[in-house]
Amino acid sequence: MSLLNDLFAKPLDPGYEEAAARSRAAGERPTSKRTWRSPALAIGLVALGLLLTMSVLQVRNTASVVSSERQGLIEQIHNEDARVSRLQDEVSSLESEIGRLESDLLQNSAAGQQTREEVESLQATTGAIAVTGPGVVVTVDNAEEQSAENGTDRVLDLDLRQVVNGLWAAGAEAVAINGQRITPLTAIRSAQDVIQINYRPMNAPYEVSAIGDPRSLARDFGDGSGGVWLREVASKSGIRYDVDSDESLTLPAGNTPLTIAIPGEGAP
Amino acid sequence: MIPLAGLLVGILAGLYFDVSVPLELQPYLPIAIVAALDAVFGGIRAVIEGIFNDKVFVVSFIANVLIAAFIVFLGDQLGVGSQLSTAVIVVLGIRIFTNVATIRRHIFHA
Repeated sequence: MSLLNDLFAKPLDPGYEEAAARSRAAGERPTSKRTWRSPALAIGLVALGLLLTMSVLQVRNTASVVSSERQGLIEQIHNEDARVSRLQDEVSSLESEIGRLESDLLQNSAAGQQTREEVESLQATTGAIAVTGPGVVVTVDNAEEQSAENGTDRVLDLDLRQVVNGLWAAGAEAVAINGQRITPLTAIRSAQDVIQINYRPMNAPYEVSAIGDPRSLARDFGDGSGGVWLREVASKSGIRYDVDSDESLTLPAGNTPLTIAIPGEGAP
Repeated sequence: MIPLAGLLVGILAGLYFDVSVPLELQPYLPIAIVAALDAVFGGIRAVIEGIFNDKVFVVSFIANVLIAAFIVFLGDQLGVGSQLSTAVIVVLGIRIFTNVATIRRHIFHA
């Protein structure tokens, strides 16, 4: 500990004492009481000020570069988001135009009328157009208290798949989760603990809306595989769910069009 | 007053010339500043106690800055750069505190 003791006891550079002792020994007059005018001290302070300013400016520049890079990335994300939604708007307006032109074309003949009805019912089934009607809303949410170590008290993609399958089995005619229509090509899967539906990240609570006869749909869902699954998961891991009837639900069109597959020879 | 004016001149010069430090010297700048601070406070205390000496001040200033930078450089080469920086800052920090406390006692007699 002598090192630290030394440090505390003699913080002044010993050189000063020695120099003073030397000049005393040489019989010189001790240096004047106040030597504030020493040019060396002034130059030393100039150097100190310069160093300080340089260092502070350096740190500030680095920080501003980092934050401006961040800002640029955030801006880029916002721009691209805006572009995606603009393109989606364009797609849906073009799709509605296609629908209008189709029905215009088919309106002229009796056979055309029949074809149009057929097409519309197929479109509703496949999720190609928006549909509206009474139904039920199943709301599934994460457990209130989350233990961080394992993710079992959160809603998993598997739970949502079971709910959707249960709703189909209970007679639902169209299903959507948080505004994303479930079509035959929809994937409900999780990527890095985030559930993605139609490749869009979703956050809890998940509202699964299904169109169908509200009474029989709610009853059959509760008795069927979906209700059984939800009850079991709720009792095991504490996730919350709720089934509500709704007089009028509107489900948007799905956006998973067929691009490669074409209807086969035997298609009706 | 002259030392204070010197400090001000240094700061203004730094702002005006906007000197940028070469990348390889950047890690040593904070350490060099702490070392310079130590030398300056030591000098001020010596002035107040009437034993100030130009030569000792200049030598201690330059030697402090160079040795502090050299120790950090050596630490960087040995892979213990941050630990040695800490050591330098602790030692110089204690000295700065003690010297400033003495200066304070001289000025305020408290």
